[in-house]
Amino acid sequence: MKRHPRLLSLFVFITLIIFIIVPFVPLLLSSLSFGWRWPDVLPESWSFRTWEYVLNDGRTWQAVGISLWIALIVTAVNILLAIPAANALVRYPVRGRWLFEAIIFAPIIIPPFISVMGIHLTFLRLGLTETVVGVVLAHIAPTLPYMFRAVMISYQTLSVDWEDQARMLGARAVPRFFHVVLPHLLPGILAGASLSVLISLSQYLITFIIGAGQVVTLPILLFPFVSGGDPGIASAYSLLYAAIAIAALVGMDAALKRYYQLNKASQGQAKGVKP
Amino acid sequence: MKKYPIASLGILALALSACSSGDAGNATDADSLLTDDWGVIQDAAQGQEVNMYMWGGNDNINTYLDEWVAPRMKEQHGIELTRVPMNDAQDIINQLLDEKIAGKSDGSMDIIWINGENFKAAKDNDLLWGDFTGQLPNFNDYIDSDAPEVSQDFGEPVEGLEAPWGKAQFVFVHDESKHETPPKSMAELADWVQEHPGQFTYPAPPDFTGSAFVRQVLYETTGGHEQYQQPAAELEDLEERLEPMWQYLNSIEPYLWREGETYPESLAKQDQLFASGEIGMTMSYDPALAASEVLKGRFPESTRTYLLDGGTLANTHFLSIPFNASDKAGALVAINELMSPEAQTAKLSPENWGDLTALELEKLSPEQQQAMNEVDLGKATLSIEELEQNRLPELSSDYIDIIEKGWTEHVAKE
Repeated sequence: MKRHPRLLSLFVFITLIIFIIVPFVPLLLSSLSFGWRWPDVLPESWSFRTWEYVLNDGRTWQAVGISLWIALIVTAVNILLAIPAANALVRYPVRGRWLFEAIIFAPIIIPPFISVMGIHLTFLRLGLTETVVGVVLAHIAPTLPYMFRAVMISYQTLSVDWEDQARMLGARAVPRFFHVVLPHLLPGILAGASLSVLISLSQYLITFIIGAGQVVTLPILLFPFVSGGDPGIASAYSLLYAAIAIAALVGMDAALKRYYQLNKASQGQAKGVKP
Repeated sequence: MKKYPIASLGILALALSACSSGDAGNATDADSLLTDDWGVIQDAAQGQEVNMYMWGGNDNINTYLDEWVAPRMKEQHGIELTRVPMNDAQDIINQLLDEKIAGKSDGSMDIIWINGENFKAAKDNDLLWGDFTGQLPNFNDYIDSDAPEVSQDFGEPVEGLEAPWGKAQFVFVHDESKHETPPKSMAELADWVQEHPGQFTYPAPPDFTGSAFVRQVLYETTGGHEQYQQPAAELEDLEERLEPMWQYLNSIEPYLWREGETYPESLAKQDQLFASGEIGMTMSYDPALAASEVLKGRFPESTRTYLLDGGTLANTHFLSIPFNASDKAGALVAINELMSPEAQTAKLSPENWGDLTALELEKLSPEQQQAMNEVDLGKATLSIEELEQNRLPELSSDYIDIIEKGWTEHVAKE
């Protein structure tokens, strides 16, 4: 019995390595190899050709910036849309609630590029193609369901009693939201935001159709190399992409931790000041 | 090029309301460019931002445009040339089609890189600007506009709608250290695959290169390319004429890679098989691709290319200007510059790209000819003369459709 948890953690550790670390090894080797041919297990010589191309190209960094920028705006818009929507659908007896939920979750089931191909002409007429705004709007369809679901679950575990109590103590709507509701929702929002950022970062087809070549995100640069047959450069771009996705997740997590720390500190202070 | 719009929700609403129907004012201005003097065009091009939409899957080509061409455009003509990477030229046409339907008059695409079926689709749908090549000094000086490879694009009359940028030719690629005497005709290939079972295959059509291989078979097994110059619909006995080709392809099938049960889905996959030594031959519609793969270390040093004794298919790739390009003067000047002997010589070098020149060698000055001949094409690439002497014309796209569909029917399913 005593050894069991250790065995379990070893098992988890090995699984993590096999499924998360190992897939990156061939990518790294392929991006650094010069003349890597069967049956060699390791490349016979090394070259920085792919990384020189990827890292020296000014467009790479521009694309990284635009990808993150779009993911950030998409996530912010998603938060603003998902909180009121979840609030309404969880807490109020909405008639035809299944219909609203079905509409919000539809993009998970229907591939979003189908709707985007249809919306392309409309966006063209409105002048929204080739703009970041248009791409942001297009990215909301596939990302909102995940944000909405996460926030909805957070709301389901938040009893209205907490807000009622705050109200009885004299808190108005805005402080009530920020001091009672938001702290409870925060882990859910973070989970939704992580998914929203990741999904937005990974969009190729939607970005391509609406951005029409003028909004160049990382996948737009990466894709021609994957299908065009330069595995080295495709590997280098993929690793860069993974690094940025991981950095975004870690950054968001760190921001949440920092928020909790600050909160604790200020609460502590408040306690100290009180008579 | 609004890359960083002000981010806030309010702007979304503003953007939605601020869009009115596009202004039609500059459309008429632009059309006078088709008759203006070159000097006027050059003045109008100053300071324009030209977007060049092109396939973006080759780092050499990308670097040639970003680091060789773009700085010169800026220096010499004050033009800001931006390369826009696309996954497939077909996407360019689809996008233009939607823009045409939506009536977008201020398009972002100023130059597009197309040929073959993409050109035909663009021409049939009126997506191209007009007969502009006669305006380009370098076109008039260095191109023989009556030559079939310039006046026709896969059998489709060009009519000045696109300017030739480079040439490509079908070559076979083999590893000299493994197979010293590769098969130089389809008849020899049939024997070769029997002696070396599993060492040969070709990408499944409609892959561009695989489809070209099948046409190569067509020319040799059905008695030459001359009979296919007329439209496919006018050849009533086409089915029977194609029959020997299907027979040939089925006869070699059992000796192909994986006994012909499956074919590589793309040239990229086939090249991967060749790079890893699993097959002994590959092919390419780019005669310099093998040399550049050797430079990158993907293909072995002993890689060589060769032609068939009866010649191989050749085509020309072109630059064109869409109907709604916003910076047409800049596009004209940029295309002219891309066709200059200096730019074409740089493009020929395998370090930059290795693409064959579109210019007529005899029309160049002796110094310019020398500069071109001095370019070291690399051991894997054949000389320009050898390639030029063995060129066969392409088929028109109606044949290509029939052959690609027929291949699935006659070869893949049997």
